[in-house]
Amino acid sequence: MKGSTKRPQFLEVVPLALVFIAAASVVWLSEADPARLHLQLSWAPPGADRLLGSGDAGVDLGLLAAHATFRALVLALVVASFGFVLGTSVGASAGLSGGGIERWTLRACDLVQSFPTFLLALAVLSAVRVPSRMHIGLVFCISAWAPFARLALAQTRSLRESQFVEAARAMGASPARVVFLHVVPNLLGPVAVQLGTAAAGVVIGETALGFVGLGPPDGVSLGSLLEQGTLGMLRAPHVLVVGALTVLCVSGSLQLASEGLRRRINQGL
Amino acid sequence: MSVTRADRAPDPHAAARGTPPAAARPPGSGVPPAVSVGQRVFAALKLLLAIALSGFLRALGALGVLVCLASLVFLALRLLPGDPAALVLGDQASEVDRALLRAKLGLDQPLWLQYVHFIWGLIRFDLGESLGRPGVSAYSEVMRALGPTAALAGTAVGLGTVLGTTAALACVGPWFGARREWVHRAVLAVAATPLLAFAPILTFIFAVRLRWVPLPGDPDSGAAGLMFAAGLLSLPLAAQVARIGRAALLDQARAKYLEVAFAKGASPARVWVVHALPVASTPISVVVAAQLGALLGGAVVLERLFERPGLGSLMLNAYAARDIPVLEASVVAAGLLFVVAQAMAGFVQAAVDPRGREL
Repeated sequence: MKGSTKRPQFLEVVPLALVFIAAASVVWLSEADPARLHLQLSWAPPGADRLLGSGDAGVDLGLLAAHATFRALVLALVVASFGFVLGTSVGASAGLSGGGIERWTLRACDLVQSFPTFLLALAVLSAVRVPSRMHIGLVFCISAWAPFARLALAQTRSLRESQFVEAARAMGASPARVVFLHVVPNLLGPVAVQLGTAAAGVVIGETALGFVGLGPPDGVSLGSLLEQGTLGMLRAPHVLVVGALTVLCVSGSLQLASEGLRRRINQGL
Repeated sequence: MSVTRADRAPDPHAAARGTPPAAARPPGSGVPPAVSVGQRVFAALKLLLAIALSGFLRALGALGVLVCLASLVFLALRLLPGDPAALVLGDQASEVDRALLRAKLGLDQPLWLQYVHFIWGLIRFDLGESLGRPGVSAYSEVMRALGPTAALAGTAVGLGTVLGTTAALACVGPWFGARREWVHRAVLAVAATPLLAFAPILTFIFAVRLRWVPLPGDPDSGAAGLMFAAGLLSLPLAAQVARIGRAALLDQARAKYLEVAFAKGASPARVWVVHALPVASTPISVVVAAQLGALLGGAVVLERLFERPGLGSLMLNAYAARDIPVLEASVVAAGLLFVVAQAMAGFVQAAVDPRGREL
């Protein structure tokens, strides 16, 4: 622990911030549409005009990678925050009411968490004609709340028995005051640790869905980028390298950031 | 299970341990009385009952997961806005054709009746004919696809467990000296890398550049193709097993019984493999069980990458062609594969760790 205190704070978030800023600046600064095709440039290697080369049917790989990264990160952020809000409220209220509700909430978490996410996605997406990013986000939201709820429940259970809550009750604080002033603030830190893990899971899940052809129809997703790479493996290996490296950077930086968040919160406790 | 004190007098466990209750010992004699056959049978029966009960509860939970998944597929196709017949036939199809298809799929019946038919069909292994290949039942399509997927996933689980355990042993044993930290770092790096990022790259290196393994899509890739795909699929599992296995082994490292084993002159290999590994195998089996869902998703991705036949390819093709009976059957079959594998992992866990049997 001694070594880690000398470390500059937030060092682990730097790669994620760099990836996000790079992707966002390309998205904001360049007017070009990532789905635009230039057939004569199909599978062209990297050059002065296009730094990362071109992919299937002449899409600009750099542009595609930036847009896909940006959208994946936004999706991950939205889904993880949704899971955080819903899961924390469900878990905390179940933990406070205790008894049967608590047991059933835990059962529900078990059920949702033991579901293979991929099958769930396939089952839900099979009902829509063309899966959009909204639908994909929805699929991840179905299962995103469970780990948060489980953490919040465990945390509430220990807070419920803690002395300062007992003291607050003894001083005549109303139940609402106890919940919002004493329980919830002490709950958020440990539950927030799960945010990074959830976001990384969403990015990888979205990539896998896009790779097997369940991605958004415009083809702007990390999975479609990777699929192009495997399709053109024999004639244009650079597409594969760009795709794999992009996925690696995004998920790796997210995992580093979540590790940093975990360390920081655990230190604060 | 609440067993009161009175229920188990005379205590069969005490009898099995060879320390008879003080009251049963005849005063003045140092020889314990023989344990009656009845007591032993009683103890064995009780143990069997506990195992059967926990197995029953686990099966009930697995069945719950399966029913939920099946209902979800069923409801998603019928309750969400949009006409399934239009999804299958496209927008240009005539109203007559759509009505015919709806009748064929039973979509014109009330929802509860459809659901009863659906569940009854699941029980009888008959979900109707494939829409894409008329005359072929969805069930036989699934049965044909189940074999390759089970082979891929099973090989991957086996490879991953062996590889991960070996890496965990290498991380804690004395064989690599100071370099075992490198093994640990490699494990962490693999654990942090998504399968999707490294599988295409490794395929490119080994199949396209080095030509050591068959190219993706090669119909007669045979055992080499299977082993390569399973090897890729097993890497994330192996990394998780190695991570948790290392922690579990390090937990045991300070235990007295290992010191005793070392003092008796056992070799490091014997101490770690024979003495420490069985104790650490419980967390390892937990990890394997927890990774089964991810493994199934990975299998779908790899079947797509290598264009291998299997449940994943069947599901994706049925999805693309809107072949509703095959899609329903294959999703439920994949769910079944998942819960059966999970139940097996739970059974292994209970066999290794007797604490899991107590309810």
